[in-house]
Amino acid sequence: MKEEAIKQGIEQRYESCLVTVPREKRVIVSLPKDSLFSLIAFMKEQGFQHLSFITCVDWIEEGEFELVYHLASYEDGIHAIVKTRVDRADPVYLSIIPLFEHAQTYEREIHEMFGVEFTGNDRLTPFLLANWQEIPPMRKDFDTQEYSERMFEHE
Amino acid sequence: MDRADIKKALKDPHKWGEKYSLWATYFCTGCGIIEIPPVITARWDAERFGVKPMATPRQANLFLITGYVSVKTLKAIIISYEQMPDPKYLVAFGSCPIDGGLYYTSYNTINHLDRYLPVDGWIAGCMPRPEAIFIAVTKLWKMIDGEMVDGYKRYKENIDYYRKNQERVLGREFIESMPPPVTVRT
Repeated sequence: MKEEAIKQGIEQRYESCLVTVPREKRVIVSLPKDSLFSLIAFMKEQGFQHLSFITCVDWIEEGEFELVYHLASYEDGIHAIVKTRVDRADPVYLSIIPLFEHAQTYEREIHEMFGVEFTGNDRLTPFLLANWQEIPPMRKDFDTQEYSERMFEHE
Repeated sequence: MDRADIKKALKDPHKWGEKYSLWATYFCTGCGIIEIPPVITARWDAERFGVKPMATPRQANLFLITGYVSVKTLKAIIISYEQMPDPKYLVAFGSCPIDGGLYYTSYNTINHLDRYLPVDGWIAGCMPRPEAIFIAVTKLWKMIDGEMVDGYKRYKENIDYYRKNQERVLGREFIESMPPPVTVRT
């Protein structure tokens, strides 16, 4: 089974990571943030040539942001999900533009919606929001109803 | 047109011309635009009512806001609206421009369009059927006959109010970049 081979390959190289195969054609890898860049480089060599998208989850109670990278392999048809966590108080992480150039757009969006800084991405400029002065809107401590009423329900 | 109407039309040909040549700005906001292709094509054929889409706002006089208006879209709507020649009619289509609708609590969608631009008519519903557009058009005719469509006049009279609200959402920079609204007649 191809998924098990990938799992063993990752576990051999990276000791501190947790790899699960929940079902056919699906691999989930979670690991500390130090080794994520090299893991994605390793997986790209293994045939995961396509970065579908990057997303971010706000774990407010644990004080962490979870960055989720979705990789896909054309040859094997496997969807790999690579997760890592960064500190919520100081959300800085490495950009993966050297590996996947189109990651710039996803990183810009995460920067705008969650406030995560990506070192190496030199285009973290205002992107989707217009005239924004609050905390990033996708953070869990942002009250969108209160904002909507204050901003749009005035007289 | 009925033969008996000829007399009426000749009495005020200017109004008659305005009524039957409504050119809609081809501007897609939100999901409501999906109702427009069947309306302007063979299925419902809006041309029966004299409504046709126009590619540019400078040659159009009917503006249908079809669906939710995000903050960035509002900017484009204001620019397009001010480019349209007088007399111009703004019709809000769907419940989102009326009170925010489904996106009431969204941080990025305005709730009341009439605070930023003068609205001449509302079509309620989510989604309204294409027939609702024709009901709105026939109402608009009656309003043109009775000289009740004064949105573009209201906009100029109360420009300070509208500019204040626009500034609140879009920022000072945008307001300063806008020229004062001028009267452009077709």
